[in-house]
Amino acid sequence: MAVDEPHAPPPESLGADGTGPKPGAADVPSFADDVVTPCGRLLSRIWEQARDTAQAADPHISSCPHCREAAEGLSAVTAASQALRTGDRPGLEALADRVMNIVRAEVRLGRLLPLADPDRALRIAESAAAKVLRQAADRVPGARAAACRFVPVGDGVDLRVTMTLAAALDRPLPDRIHQVRRSVLRSAGQDLGLAVTAVDITVVDVLEQEPPCRPGLTPGGA
Amino acid sequence: MIDTAVALSPGRGLGGRDLPDGLLAVRAAEGDEEAFAVLVQRHGRPLLDLARCMLGNPQDAEEAVQDAFVSAWRRLPEYRHSAEFHTWMHRITVNRCLTMRHRRPPPLSLDTVAEPAATDAWGQPARSAEQEAATAALVRALGELDTGQRLCWILREVQGLSYKQISHVTRSSEQAVRGRLFRARRSLQEAMGPWR
Repeated sequence: MAVDEPHAPPPESLGADGTGPKPGAADVPSFADDVVTPCGRLLSRIWEQARDTAQAADPHISSCPHCREAAEGLSAVTAASQALRTGDRPGLEALADRVMNIVRAEVRLGRLLPLADPDRALRIAESAAAKVLRQAADRVPGARAAACRFVPVGDGVDLRVTMTLAAALDRPLPDRIHQVRRSVLRSAGQDLGLAVTAVDITVVDVLEQEPPCRPGLTPGGA
Repeated sequence: MIDTAVALSPGRGLGGRDLPDGLLAVRAAEGDEEAFAVLVQRHGRPLLDLARCMLGNPQDAEEAVQDAFVSAWRRLPEYRHSAEFHTWMHRITVNRCLTMRHRRPPPLSLDTVAEPAATDAWGQPARSAEQEAATAALVRALGELDTGQRLCWILREVQGLSYKQISHVTRSSEQAVRGRLFRARRSLQEAMGPWR
């Protein structure tokens, strides 16, 4: 292969302060054990460019025979590593099932919240109530609930809900928040029988309106 | 802060499959198992690939990823979102793999790697004998790399992470990542010399 034996790049290849890259090597710093080709390019940079076409290309590297040969030196590794990236792999389902079985066995109920019944004898787990109220928030188009917490008000059964929300910006936020609050209050009363006196909502993120299909966000994707 | 960029579409999404990681992680931290199940589906496969390359066989890889997810579920209430869920999950998996490597004998016996079979150590259908041998040689060479170099190489070449993402997972500078990657490539190139 047409590269020198490993040695540090010569000092003159560095910038004026002795640490910067040489001109032409753009913004790529060198390493103590990097290798310099006869044409003065760093092997590390040639390989990075060979493996990463998105990187701003140094036109010299694609035309220079020394650089081409240096890049081709990596071809056997590249070809063999293909097998680690592609091909049929065992399914995820069995593993996911095992994980979720363990997770469900370690159920986190959270506190028990009093339902608004006259005897004050009924309770619901905070995690279960939160799930129902998040669903109520999610039913408002352009809103998705994140956190949902409950704060007792006074000594009785009254509760205050604290919710964080991701919301789209295609309509004014106050309208959407108002809708979410209404949906959450209705669900708390009708579905759960909780005495929720207020719903505090903080918008913590913006939802982008969709392009029709986003790879990576499909089920099981990414 | 929660991840941005999520697709919204009517009639979809109550199952949480269209939600960003950060939002699902907040829900899971509050005990929402469905949200966690979506995260497992979304990240399980790349983490399995990572663990398989780190450990050298699918059985250990499954164990490592299972442990990593269970550990993540237990630690989610303390997860402060200072790193993206993706990065945080990678770190947990890498640590799990490193612990298992310390605990076990050398992960890749030459026999198990080179043995011809209908499906190989990666669970893939038999390829040509030459490809098979080249892959086995690569896996063996990978197993001989310094841990930091091996990890950077796998995250870049198998997982396709950017230098920045790798630097977050490994808690090191991008310059350090580039250096490890270069050394890993050089060692692997030497080991793969006969296959050129």
